[in-house]
Amino acid sequence: MDDYKFLFKVVLVGNAGVGKTCLVRRFTQGLFPPGQGATIGVDFMIKTVEVEGEKVKLQIWDTAGQERFRSITQSYYRSAHALILVYDISCQPTFDCLPDWLREIEEYASSKVLRILVGNKIDRDDREIPTHVGEDFAARHNMYFLETSAKEADNVEKLFMQIAEDLMEQARSKDLPRYDTSTANIDSRTSTIGDSSCCSKLI
Amino acid sequence: MEEQEMSKFVTQQAYIDGKIKALSKMIPQLKIIHKDAESLVTTINHISESSEKISGKIRELDTAREKVEECQKRVSDLIDLELCSQGVQKAIYDEDYEQGAALVHRFLSIDQSVVKQTASDFEKVAGLEDAAQKNLQTALNTPAGDKRYPVIYADTLTLLYEGVARMVNVHQPLIETYYGPGKLIAAMNILQKECDNQTRRIVSEFCKTRNMNKKMSQINEISRMSSSSSFSKLEKTDPKDLDVLIGEMTLMHSKIELYIKFVRSKVMTDLDVGISDLDERSKNVDKLEQLIKNSQVSQSKHELLGYYLRMEQYYMEESITKAVNLDTAEQGQHTSSMVDDTFFIIRKCIRRSISSGSLDGICAIINNACRVLESDFCNILRSKLKQGYPSGYLDLTQAYNVLQSSIQQGRLQPGDTEVARTAFVVALNNADSCTYYVEALCDRVMLEIEQAMPAMKENDRGKLESCLSGLSSVTATLKDVIEYGLQQLRASAIKPRVHPWIDSFMNINHEMTEDELSAYDAGETFVQTLIMNLESLLVPFKEVLTPSNYDSLVGVVTNEVISRFEKIVFKTTFNRLGGLVLDKEVRSLAGYLTTSTSWSLRDKFARLTQIATVLNLEKVSEISDYWGDHDGALMWRLTPSELRNVMALRLVLERAPNIKFIRVCI
Ligand SMILES: Nc1nc2c(ncn2[C@@H]2O[C@H](COP(=O)(O)OP(=O)(O)O)[C@@H](O)[C@H]2O)c(=O)[nH]1
Ligand SMILES: [Mg+2]
Repeated sequence: MDDYKFLFKVVLVGNAGVGKTCLVRRFTQGLFPPGQGATIGVDFMIKTVEVEGEKVKLQIWDTAGQERFRSITQSYYRSAHALILVYDISCQPTFDCLPDWLREIEEYASSKVLRILVGNKIDRDDREIPTHVGEDFAARHNMYFLETSAKEADNVEKLFMQIAEDLMEQARSKDLPRYDTSTANIDSRTSTIGDSSCCSKLI
Repeated sequence: MEEQEMSKFVTQQAYIDGKIKALSKMIPQLKIIHKDAESLVTTINHISESSEKISGKIRELDTAREKVEECQKRVSDLIDLELCSQGVQKAIYDEDYEQGAALVHRFLSIDQSVVKQTASDFEKVAGLEDAAQKNLQTALNTPAGDKRYPVIYADTLTLLYEGVARMVNVHQPLIETYYGPGKLIAAMNILQKECDNQTRRIVSEFCKTRNMNKKMSQINEISRMSSSSSFSKLEKTDPKDLDVLIGEMTLMHSKIELYIKFVRSKVMTDLDVGISDLDERSKNVDKLEQLIKNSQVSQSKHELLGYYLRMEQYYMEESITKAVNLDTAEQGQHTSSMVDDTFFIIRKCIRRSISSGSLDGICAIINNACRVLESDFCNILRSKLKQGYPSGYLDLTQAYNVLQSSIQQGRLQPGDTEVARTAFVVALNNADSCTYYVEALCDRVMLEIEQAMPAMKENDRGKLESCLSGLSSVTATLKDVIEYGLQQLRASAIKPRVHPWIDSFMNINHEMTEDELSAYDAGETFVQTLIMNLESLLVPFKEVLTPSNYDSLVGVVTNEVISRFEKIVFKTTFNRLGGLVLDKEVRSLAGYLTTSTSWSLRDKFARLTQIATVLNLEKVSEISDYWGDHDGALMWRLTPSELRNVMALRLVLERAPNIKFIRVCI
């Protein structure tokens, strides 16, 4: 049965090629996809996890990094409960773009959104961004920080579970922005997104 | 070794003989064509020379010459082929198998290349490029007054893709014959390149002619300015001016989408028929997806969608701002024009996104609509309600008199108070009617999308439903806005009036004798006055509020009446007859308020009714008929200590010797 107590939207952003899709696939399907080409627009995946005995449904939106999809991807920021900003620790330019991404987040996302900075591909031995540089950046911008490898499944589970726990705690203390509480409540009353009935049930 | 090869060769002999015979039959014709072509070339060369002075037509002639030369080459290839086949025949006759094998090898290689060439340049042969160029030229030369001018680039794309489709349909059987089924993808690869070039050209001409860069940067500028809230001074593009352009963009996008669908279904069908090995087939399917994904056609599609979404967002926001600024409330209407207009605009934008054929596009527009409604639109409603409902003259008769004298003096101009009240009421109604609009919007949109995209994938459906569920939070926000408005109303229009009405209960002695009771009943009782007053409070609202808002208002009034009444009751002492009066009055009040709405309010009266019941008891011991867990017992809304407090109000009871028994009993 697909019943759940909480529903959270998690949106991944960051330059193309940093491994967003791989992180999502690793978490939702437990695999590291071979050469699957760049994401077009947005992809949508769901995984239900258990936190403190409660079912938590994570709706994960994997966005395309390229500029030309920006008007699609930006429209998902506002309803996000958590935003994961990803860079590639072996690729300086992806780190240099972080301020641009933050500007976008400031402009479009809710001010209460949970923000996580992720340095991916730590399995690679050609690291260009030392861990402490990422950490500093995250601290300066009030974000969580985690380094991962989608390839080796390092910290991927931890990343998403941490988010689920944090959001649940927020939801319990009713600290979520207005928008979010209502969605969570309403969704938990109805059966599920993805069942064949129409949205009217969600209202 | 050689023997093996020879025997293989000999078994092929019948096949080769057949081919050779067929080719031999063509020889005379080919020879004629060859001669004709030669003389044509001479003629054309001649004309070409002389026409250089005339110029202009030169390119066409050059192309013609090229074609003829190409044709010539093809013909000579075929002749070569014929010679080859003759040689084979002779070799076989001479039993010179080595020579024969060599010739067969050559034959096969020529055969391949000729056929391959046929496939590779079939787009040129059929004139795809030329046709596309001509169509684009036509587009560029279309006068602005032309009926098709607003969609000329969509038309040009249509012509291009129709051309490609025709070519695919014509050549597919040929490819199948020469290469076998499952090979369409190879041909598509070649064809796609030309199609890519042409698409890029058309889209870039579109951007140039329609001033896309300028418009986009203007729009970006405006949205930047408005977020820093100095937007009112900026010269804006009228959203109406973008209407046509947005329409053209969605049309172009849908044409590309349609083309991609065509390619996919053609190749997939071919693969399904031609390749039975599942692994091999899925490899080819991947190839197809890569071909589509990496094509310029896809790039152009994304580019167009990006432009479209930006512009549509601007259009939606600006049109709604306009609708809000031009808001008018018609006499006798609950809501004002901005609600209708806003939802009209939103429906229009979502419809347009549906016509683009892109699910991501639809989702983005729905997301944007949710944002605009939930933030911008609800904020406008909230700020109107924030102004409050001015209470002005509290008494209706007084208001009526003022109105009468105004009419008599010929100045029916409603005062500021009326204007403010109307504005408040309309805002409250607008919020309420929006909740219905949102619900209807959600249903309709889902229906329309299902019609437009009948074969939606499960994942896409999930995406869409998730985005549509964003509308439910719009509803939640609207409900908050309504609640906020009702609280405003309560504070300014209800509380200050209801309290004194209830408080007058204290002026009445509730330890009454039979005589006093009949005197009281003969006059205007407390509850009669109260109901009349409530009626005067509610009636004006009944006409101006939406039914659902009116119900909510009655609910708010009821809560206010009940909570005040309870307080006052606790400040009053009763004897049996006083309790009887109270009981009767509570019943008629509950009856009145309940009939005022479409929901039952009786439940709200439960506590007050129980208080009255207790005060109306004949004998103390009767309480045990109601208290306890036997059949006749009530579902008590009062706590035991509250109940004791209520009983204390009954002087007779308090003096009763049984009070201790009651304490134990409760
Ligand atoms: N070594 C390594 N490569 C990775 C990792 N994650 C992703 N990649 C590779 O990086 C490339 C881009 O990954 P993708 O998930 O498509 O990036 P996206 O554009 O951010 O979605 C692919 O070639 C992946 O194989 C990782 O953790 N380690
Ligand atoms: Mg990706």
